[in-house]
Amino acid sequence: MSSPKRSDEPVWWSLFSAGGVCFAVFLPGLILALGILWPLGLLNSSVLQYAQLLSLLQSGYGLTGLAFTGAVICLPLFHAAHRIHHGLHDLKCGYSSATKLLCYGTAGLLSVLALYFTLSLLLKY
Amino acid sequence: MNTPVSARKPYQSKLSRSWWLKHNYYRLYMLREATVLPLLFFIGCLLYGLYCLTQDAAHWQSFQTFMQQGWVIALNLLAFAASLFHAKTFFALFPRVMPLAPAWLMISGQWLATLLVAAGVLLLFGGWL
Amino acid sequence: MTEYQLLIQRYDPEHDNEPRLQRFTVPGDHTTSMLDALLYVQQKLDVTLGLRWSCRMAICGSCGVMVNGIPKLGCKTFLRDYHSEIVIEPLAHFAVEKDLIVDMTQFLAHLSAIKPYLINDYSGTAMHKQTPAQLAKYQQFSNCINCGLCYSACPQFGLNPEFLGPAAITLAQRYNLDSRDNGKAARMPQLNGKNGAWGCTFVGFCSDVCPKQLDPAAAVNQAKVESAKDFIISMFKP
Repeated sequence: MSSPKRSDEPVWWSLFSAGGVCFAVFLPGLILALGILWPLGLLNSSVLQYAQLLSLLQSGYGLTGLAFTGAVICLPLFHAAHRIHHGLHDLKCGYSSATKLLCYGTAGLLSVLALYFTLSLLLKY
Repeated sequence: MNTPVSARKPYQSKLSRSWWLKHNYYRLYMLREATVLPLLFFIGCLLYGLYCLTQDAAHWQSFQTFMQQGWVIALNLLAFAASLFHAKTFFALFPRVMPLAPAWLMISGQWLATLLVAAGVLLLFGGWL
Repeated sequence: MTEYQLLIQRYDPEHDNEPRLQRFTVPGDHTTSMLDALLYVQQKLDVTLGLRWSCRMAICGSCGVMVNGIPKLGCKTFLRDYHSEIVIEPLAHFAVEKDLIVDMTQFLAHLSAIKPYLINDYSGTAMHKQTPAQLAKYQQFSNCINCGLCYSACPQFGLNPEFLGPAAITLAQRYNLDSRDNGKAARMPQLNGKNGAWGCTFVGFCSDVCPKQLDPAAAVNQAKVESAKDFIISMFKP
């Protein structure tokens, strides 16, 4: 039997796994705080006001900001892209190099956008 | 085949698109895979918030108003539930993929990490840090 | 004795174009297995019922059927655990030859594709020693009886019959982890392909239905880790 072509899945699976860890470890707390408690007015602090957030960034959270974006936006995006790509196969809704490019390409573009926002924030001050 | 007439006529059934509705195990699998949909919504919120931060205080205020809408909070509640369900399944799978330590230890260690992060985030944004 | 209603899928390739369900009433007590019930049907009610079986003690792996949609060994499943009608169908995802008999050719081809035997340049008559710790590394994965239940539980195999599947990849891991074996390099190309370990999305039902509790899903996903390592190593090779 001839050898099958080596799959490039190790790349996507590694990003998926790393993103899965981030989704499970970082996101629950973040969603609870930013998505639920803060909008409901239950986080009664000034930290999430514009000026305070900027001073937080200035006071040494700079590089942490890049890591933060990577951990809560970029990697989870690739995690989601991977599951959607395979989900399309599960639902027999097309599974090809086109859907692959669409899924991981979108994750890549949004990641670049997030990193650009973060960098421009860091370079602003 | 060398037999004069083969009576073979294998019947191959095809998996329908709704195969995952037929068994509870498959439904839970699909639910696990679908946890990324509300996750994507929350990531969208984060991206929007980040963009507003790069602008000015007025933009940040409009982000807060956006987050305070009922449907946004509802979707983020869903995202919170999805993140916990994802965590439950992901933590259980991890020791089977990489059996580095006894499963119970790895699972409880991961939940501890999630709890510590949540506590840290709440302390930071709650202004106690 | 209690009476049980069995709905058995019938398919006669000489007369039928597609399978149909046929109702049988069989007597059973707390010791009657699904295989006993099927043999009762064959011997007392309809001699034309086709089914595979041999050992009646969950070691030959030939009496796999779908019981109410879940892959089971007929000999290891008991009527006492069912209360309403019991639907018995041939193993899912495989082509049906007749009644409950499926064509396992593809499954066997997948098994042999991963070279399921010790590969080494060892020749001689002395015993090849192995420590208990070395044995423990692969022992769990060596208990496979090739019954095929995991393939019927696997939607990825159902969607793509080229996927090597749980048992074959578990078997590859079983030999790759054996201290007496040097054949990993010969097996990795199969695992590295899109139909190898990467065809799996960790549905995990294979481990649930495995009558020998091998945890094939774990083996397949450990194979992904191995394949990922192999991927990285390959980047540094000329």
